[in-house]
Amino acid sequence: MKLPAGTRDWLPAELQRKHAVEAALRAVFAARDYAEVQTPHFERFDVLASGLGAESAAAAFLFADRSGTQLALRPEMTTPIARLVSSRMRGAALPLRLCYLQPAFRYDEPQEGRMREFTAAGLELIGADGLEADAESLFSALEALDAVGLREARIDINHVAIVESVLDGFAFEARVRAACHEAIATRNLVSLRATLDAAGRASAAPVLVELAMARGGTDVLDTAARLCGSETGRAGLERLRALLARAQDLGYAGRVGIDLALLRDIAYYTGLVFEGYVEQAGFPICGGGRYDDLLPRFGFAAGAVGWSLAVERVLIALERRP
Amino acid sequence: MSLTVGVPKGALYDEAAARLRAAGIDAPEDPGRRLTCTTADGTRLLFLRPTDVPAYVEFGAADCGIVGADVLWESERNVSELADLGFGACRLVVAARRVDRYHEGAPFPTFLRVASKFTKSAEAYFAERDIPVQIVKLHGSVELSPLVGLADLIVDLVATGNTLREHDLVVVDEIARSTARFVVNPVRFRSAYGAIVDLLGRLDPGAAS
Repeated sequence: MKLPAGTRDWLPAELQRKHAVEAALRAVFAARDYAEVQTPHFERFDVLASGLGAESAAAAFLFADRSGTQLALRPEMTTPIARLVSSRMRGAALPLRLCYLQPAFRYDEPQEGRMREFTAAGLELIGADGLEADAESLFSALEALDAVGLREARIDINHVAIVESVLDGFAFEARVRAACHEAIATRNLVSLRATLDAAGRASAAPVLVELAMARGGTDVLDTAARLCGSETGRAGLERLRALLARAQDLGYAGRVGIDLALLRDIAYYTGLVFEGYVEQAGFPICGGGRYDDLLPRFGFAAGAVGWSLAVERVLIALERRP
Repeated sequence: MSLTVGVPKGALYDEAAARLRAAGIDAPEDPGRRLTCTTADGTRLLFLRPTDVPAYVEFGAADCGIVGADVLWESERNVSELADLGFGACRLVVAARRVDRYHEGAPFPTFLRVASKFTKSAEAYFAERDIPVQIVKLHGSVELSPLVGLADLIVDLVATGNTLREHDLVVVDEIARSTARFVVNPVRFRSAYGAIVDLLGRLDPGAAS
């Protein structure tokens, strides 16, 4: 009578709490005029893999149909929706506002907050660039966290161009650059220093360590402005500055912070990235960002920004509340 | 905000506790049979098996912790390594019987058996070199295995080298050098940022530069 690792049953009282969270999320999606869509639980692996980065693709459950075609349970919802929009909804008026609340599956080591079957909820704003679209996505995530009852949740934001710009400034060889990027993203200062030492570039350590440790408010943006050489990096900083100001105006001051080392482990992000968290949980509650290169991979020239959360993580955070 | 810190019992304990005391956290000389204690400044210490520290930190049950790099290599846990604390130095090495002369370049047998507690590190080492091996997971006295024909090579931690010498084993290659590390939960790094950066600065004054 054993269940497979990373799966669970929902008894009536538990399911009731889950449904309450889902209803609160759907209300936020509806108030923002996002339309819910559904895609198959499994798809052709080659199609999903062309959108997912290597890490997400590696986490997919794989199986084959009788003709030997490789199929995968979707590990997340953004790629299937990008595929859907790029094919069946090509003619739709942009911007397009879509949301989902569906099971997804990841072949990870199961642990708290990381189940192999989980309920993904989120929204995607497709075909809209610029500050307004980024703000809509970011603040809808805060609204969703409020709506499910996590009013103390905070969101850290970053822009992927900032780290790129600082790394560009050092003109590392590709292998060193990739190792530095990885060390900053995981905030592994020991490996960052070791990489630079081994490459004979120890003089870069103070700047990159400062970048990896930088977290806070507008003060952090001033630090970053000093480190950031390129036009795209500075544009990224300005985007973050504008979002912080917007947070202030909307009454979210103190709930949005800057973390210059926040680089989500999904490869498709191209601009703003963000992650929400609460004190009582050691894992992020929600995450998202801008992914302008994903739909073009499916032959549809449109940028997009979105976020998602796992309903199960919200439930753990709610249960753990002091 | 006060932090919860995972502290390894065993070989690293004395130096870890001394380092915490130098940082203003009065860790006890000997935790005895206690599982946890709260120090005068409100820091909560969890006394853990060394190999359990990464799990406590990754789950957020501890905000941060002190752990040997060798344990981190094996655990593959998602924690941020903020500082190399320098103590607890040892080497992860490939070793063999002196008479087999692998250390002098004698070729390995085609079917190579390697015994280790550090199976992930051992696997990665031989995979990188494209050497097919059968790894035998052992839990202690790994140095016995080549003497009785269980394995051709061992992958093990060496601090002084005395154990190898006593059994007439020699180092064939060094895989990595391990020292104690200060690790944090990536999300707690944000929610307890001030306290973490403060503790990092006290544990490792050179860390922030």
